[in-house]
Amino acid sequence: MAKADVVAMILAGGQGARLGVLTKYIAKPAVPFGSRYRIIDFPLSNCANSGIETVGVLSQYQPLALNTYVGNGHPWDLDRNNGGAYILPPYQRSGRSDWYKGTANAIYQNKDFIDDCDPKYVLILSGDHIYKMNYERMLRDHIKTKADATLAVLEVPWEEAPRFGILNTSDDDIITEFVEKPKKPESNLASMGVYLFTWDVLRKALIEDEEIPESNNDFGSNIVPMLLKQGKKLCAYRFSGYWKDVGTISSLWEANMDILDRPEEINLMDRSWRVYSRNPVKPSHYIADGAVIKNSALTDGCRIYGTVEHSVLSNSVTVEKGAIVRDSVLLPGVTVRAGAYIDKCIIGFNTIIGEGVRAGASVTGDSPYLNTRICTDGIVVIERGLKIKDHAVIPANCQIDCDIAVDPALNVIEEMFRVR
Amino acid sequence: MFIDAMGLILADNNKISLGELSKPRALAAVPFGGRYRIIDYMLSDMVNSGIKSVGILTLNKYKSLMDHLGTGASWDLDRKNFGLHILPPYVNSESSGNGMEDADELVGLLDFIRSNRSMYAIIANSNMILNTTFNDFLEKHEQSGADVSAMYNRDGTKYGVPNYIFDVDRKGYVKDMLLNPEKSSSNRCSLGIIVLKRELLIDMISDMISRGERNFGVHTLVKKHDTLRVRAHEYKGLVLRINNIQGYFNSSMLLLDDQIRADLFWNGMPIYTKVKDEAPALYFENSHVGNAMVSDGCRIMGTVQNSMLFRGVTVSRNSKITNCVIMQDVHISENCELENVIIDKNAVIRPGIKLVGHKDYPVVIGKGAIV
Repeated sequence: MAKADVVAMILAGGQGARLGVLTKYIAKPAVPFGSRYRIIDFPLSNCANSGIETVGVLSQYQPLALNTYVGNGHPWDLDRNNGGAYILPPYQRSGRSDWYKGTANAIYQNKDFIDDCDPKYVLILSGDHIYKMNYERMLRDHIKTKADATLAVLEVPWEEAPRFGILNTSDDDIITEFVEKPKKPESNLASMGVYLFTWDVLRKALIEDEEIPESNNDFGSNIVPMLLKQGKKLCAYRFSGYWKDVGTISSLWEANMDILDRPEEINLMDRSWRVYSRNPVKPSHYIADGAVIKNSALTDGCRIYGTVEHSVLSNSVTVEKGAIVRDSVLLPGVTVRAGAYIDKCIIGFNTIIGEGVRAGASVTGDSPYLNTRICTDGIVVIERGLKIKDHAVIPANCQIDCDIAVDPALNVIEEMFRVR
Repeated sequence: MFIDAMGLILADNNKISLGELSKPRALAAVPFGGRYRIIDYMLSDMVNSGIKSVGILTLNKYKSLMDHLGTGASWDLDRKNFGLHILPPYVNSESSGNGMEDADELVGLLDFIRSNRSMYAIIANSNMILNTTFNDFLEKHEQSGADVSAMYNRDGTKYGVPNYIFDVDRKGYVKDMLLNPEKSSSNRCSLGIIVLKRELLIDMISDMISRGERNFGVHTLVKKHDTLRVRAHEYKGLVLRINNIQGYFNSSMLLLDDQIRADLFWNGMPIYTKVKDEAPALYFENSHVGNAMVSDGCRIMGTVQNSMLFRGVTVSRNSKITNCVIMQDVHISENCELENVIIDKNAVIRPGIKLVGHKDYPVVIGKGAIV
């Protein structure tokens, strides 16, 4: 394997259970986002645009969609003769085999891969954040400060700090403490889950951490505190700009809406820092006579005959005449039949919303599908590959999941089909 | 799909001019249909048929075509064996830059065809927009025992000239071919797509070279119908022809029809094109859009009616676009009113401009123009 100065490792193995049925069949990083992207396009494109050419993608949970999507890395210019994109699933070795136990353990299990690349630095990224960041600048800081590790941080509003992993620093941005979700935060610098390590230091720490049986093998709660205790130099790298963790249904919905409401912040149109994706082969979208379309993002293959307001539509979505789609996120291949009313819904791949269906935050009523643990803020989530019965009513905070046993009279699912 | 054939696409056509649109580029490289270039359709048809070796014959102005095709990766033609070959006009030292006068460009073509090992060659002009595969065409050709098979359909004359009309005998062989006849006994309009054995093609080109002939083309080969058995093959699917600027405009507008779009894009195989990684199209508060095709990277703040918008077009507030074809990265400023206008790539329309063409004679704004 060719030598690389920096190797990026994207942690893409987590299930993302808080995304409910959206991650039933695909890993969180492969979930579609922002009309024509998948979540993992953001870290992959950041790597490509930062000149990082060796990228390992650690996959574990439902890897099929993710592996096919990343493929040979061609869309991100990561099909290199030297380096490129590598899918790294857990594997069997003589004597034993292990799943990835934690984020640090996933890297530990792939230390041979990193050793073969022989890098000076290793960049650890997560596959569930939406942001555009130049890792090269962070690396330059890391070299300049002679740090053993550099953690990207974002200043968050003080009242939100208790939701994040917070880094306490001395005046010159040297990290003194890492506190996960502090009740009384001493700082408002939140860790973005972007860690840059000098490989020698990380390698040693991973081996030591592996020997501690009670460790969770996690970067934030184990590796970083261990390095701090050992007196290593950990620096904070301040990032300013759009950054969002899309780990929950409401944050995923919000991030999609940010494309419409705050387009200049994430700025997908910026041609000097494109976000690359694997493109569907579909014609330009078509807006029919009589259609109404406002404050929305659309991409190839959509066919709109009805009303679409303040919504994000992925490729090949059809909205029939008289249907109304509002404040919603429609994943690839969704069909909304005539007269249906969709409000604040996230609808999975290829699902067909029957004629006259009413679903969403403004719909009231009782339903066996109610799930306020996954669906907050009134959002309705509908699994992929379903045909929803004509004229079905799906009130706020419902998650339509075909595995839930429901009284046949209240069942809104007419049919299930396989999504390829 | 397996097919024992190679493909050849002629990127230029000296009988067809699209005015301003074909000034900076080969006919094959003219943008058509939102995110495509004209050549994407024929190239995808060949790839979808299973053809793994395609040569593109160019005459001049092939830079834009080469930018578009690249290594052929978008069509899966970046291969170790065969794949995509762009064959620029071949000028050797003996012809002292006068390549067009001699048959020298044919020498390069001959080398390319000789290096192949398929049984058949499919040759196509690049002014036809269709979504098909050639497997059935080739099979019928093989069964018939003809030397050459040439595709035609029956609605060609409505797309204007140039048109080659086949006169066909009772057994289905071409007995005469006429260019733009005033009166015709036949409505069999050539599609400019033929199939023949690769060995026969080599013989024919060698013969042309030794006779000093230089006009290699689909119809110069069909013209040999008195010495060769040329079978006429009817194609019944949808074909749009780009014969002239009016035809270009009309065909673009036809794509707004649901049935035509379904036939061209949805019912057959995919049409591939170069990947651009644009952002999704964004529609803002004041957008009014009806009967329009819109591509990624567009930003719509105004009114768009009966129009075709390519990638990265901006339509600013209070501007109204009706019956227009607006190509990639065109910026339309505020308070403009455009009707029956074709705007080529990268043009900028300044605030308050009003441009009205006639639907039979659309106004054409050239590439990069500032109006």
